[in-house]
Amino acid sequence: MNRKLLLTSVALVAALALGVTAALAGTVRVGSDPGITDNSILLGGTAPLTGPASQFASVARGAEAYFKYLNATKGGVNGRKISYKYADDAYNPAQSVPVTRQLVEQDKVFAIFNSLGTAHNVAVRPYLNAMKVPQLFVASGATTWGRDYAQFPYTIGFQPSYQAEGWVYGKYLARTAPGAKIAVLFQNDDYGKDLLGGLKRGLQRSKVKVIAAQPYEVTSPDVASQIAKLKASGADTLAIFATPTFAIQAYQFANKLGWKPKHVINNAVSSASTSMQIASSAGQNKLVNGTISIQFLKDPTDPTWKNDPAMKLYRTIMKKYAPSANVADPLHVYGMASAWTAADALKKAGKDLTRESLRKTLDTFTAAGNPFMLPGIAVKTAGKDHYPVEQMLLQKWQNGSWNSFGGLWGYRAS
Amino acid sequence: MSRSTLKALAVFAALTGVVFVIPAFVNDFRAQQFAYVGVYLVALTGLNILTGYTGQISLGHGAFMAIGGYTTSILMIDHGVKDIATIPFAIIVAGVAGALFGFPAARLAGLYLALATFGIALATPAVIKKFEGFTGGGTGVNLFGTPELTASLTPVKLVGFELDFNNWLYYLCWTVALVGYVVAWLILRGRTGRAFRAVRDSETAAVSSGISLTRTKVLAFGISAAYAGAAGSLFAITTTFVNPDTFPVTLSIFLLVGIVVSGLGSLKGLIAGAIFIQFMPLWSQNVSKSPGAPAVVYGVVLILLILVLPGGASGLIARLQQLTRR
Repeated sequence: MNRKLLLTSVALVAALALGVTAALAGTVRVGSDPGITDNSILLGGTAPLTGPASQFASVARGAEAYFKYLNATKGGVNGRKISYKYADDAYNPAQSVPVTRQLVEQDKVFAIFNSLGTAHNVAVRPYLNAMKVPQLFVASGATTWGRDYAQFPYTIGFQPSYQAEGWVYGKYLARTAPGAKIAVLFQNDDYGKDLLGGLKRGLQRSKVKVIAAQPYEVTSPDVASQIAKLKASGADTLAIFATPTFAIQAYQFANKLGWKPKHVINNAVSSASTSMQIASSAGQNKLVNGTISIQFLKDPTDPTWKNDPAMKLYRTIMKKYAPSANVADPLHVYGMASAWTAADALKKAGKDLTRESLRKTLDTFTAAGNPFMLPGIAVKTAGKDHYPVEQMLLQKWQNGSWNSFGGLWGYRAS
Repeated sequence: MSRSTLKALAVFAALTGVVFVIPAFVNDFRAQQFAYVGVYLVALTGLNILTGYTGQISLGHGAFMAIGGYTTSILMIDHGVKDIATIPFAIIVAGVAGALFGFPAARLAGLYLALATFGIALATPAVIKKFEGFTGGGTGVNLFGTPELTASLTPVKLVGFELDFNNWLYYLCWTVALVGYVVAWLILRGRTGRAFRAVRDSETAAVSSGISLTRTKVLAFGISAAYAGAAGSLFAITTTFVNPDTFPVTLSIFLLVGIVVSGLGSLKGLIAGAIFIQFMPLWSQNVSKSPGAPAVVYGVVLILLILVLPGGASGLIARLQQLTRR
């Protein structure tokens, strides 16, 4: 070995000895909760900005626009401006984990808010709870957020659970269509199974029965064979618990086979009007007319809300703070509804905001009058009930748009 | 020992030293990101043995990582095996799976092989979901906070130093990566490595010099998959979570992109490829977050890299060496 190399090695060993000592000295943390100062609150979250589910990123963009509006017009909450830093996880839970850890450990966010996806939030839940970082208003309808509250007290969901949604369909059919025979097409994962389970629960003690249920894989190319089997079962009602692409296919295949079930139920509300319009092939597919679904937010394309002050505000906010985004996308309304609730919770947690005070606030929490939600729907938790939104309206697809009908449906998980 | 071997050893020792001290100079969180670089380095070392040295393309290495990751997770959760102790099992299970896949794959070449390996990458998530009772299905397996996972809740003591979770992950992943690197170097410098290269350069010539094509290809697949298994195991430990979506098709493609950036058929540039896989998506997000923009930035940078450095990072290093020799 020549001398230069020897010197380099010695230098490296010295650096190592110094460096390790420095690292050990640097790990102590003191002071109050991170992400909070007298005039700011930092929230973080993950969203699929790239990848196959990137259309869901609107949930984060809508929330961001609302916070910007709130900071500009009201100076934030309790004198603190809210920054919302969301990062891409490409809809891959293996990326949600490091990204969330980065938000917590490097960006030092006060709380994680509005992160999207079931598995993506399940993946970081034990970590966030161990670190006592609030996991606010998870953007997923899985039942686990409310059900496992005792084990993970820092985690709270938002939208009605898929189970609650299925239950509403079940109750509706039990009341309005006695003797109906239901065929179900469902996605073979927790999402589809929760909806199916809820439907069956709603049908208990009624004459309505699920006589056939066909699963499909997200990776499969189409659902033609499933629809053929469901038709062969002799059912007179079709429930589609699928993502937009497959729901559209289901309508098309059922129409091609000449199957005319009396009621069609569809959960693809999140993408609302656009996918329904495609499914109806510009009014050609009569099967789509009369489809039933649920809603808890104001749909920006629903003519009912054309002159609603909240929806006017929504359009103004979008124009100013998210000018390149599609205003008709209801997921932006979802993001704003969620952000509105977060701001409300942060306000109620008080001037001496800590992670613990926020958790306690959400433990027993009522936020009524969310302007972006349908009138009368409250965000509410109390005691063992940790399902924030449990009310919804039924809506029917008629003449190219959704029209809500009937009164509020409430679901109690416990 | 020859002069070049000595020089290689010295460079490697210096590299080890640098790797060892990095956590002292970066913050806690960076250490975790660099841990992922170590994980990808393991996978890329294995993939380069198969694709770079033996000339067999694989678009399915994410599947072998999944096998390793699931072996580790299932052993930890269902059988209470400590995380480090699961790594050898992950290596063996993935290695055997790779060798078995090697038998049919040995008959395929070029595009057909690419399609067959792509097939296993596509099928893996569905297969994992199918055996829900065994694999946890779509819900996945959570490792964080379990007693089998070292240091996730309380720091671990190692030769007198207290390491928190991120630093522990860093040292774990890089230890495996550097050991794997040396093992790969030992395999490739000898007889086996010559056989691999002979198969890559001309199968006819290789057969006529007495090399068994099937044996060599199966061996390459096995070794390469074993590396992927180790990487998958470390990936599961570092991420503390596995589910079918954690090993998507894009992971396999990213790995192939990684070895192209590092340079095929050389071990010198592998770290560059691993860094590219880990950090390029993050950097491209920093440029712009508007819809579609990060993907475009990623693509443009990749195209530019291939245009400017067709030999990858290894090619660049080789060129620099030539310059200094003059």
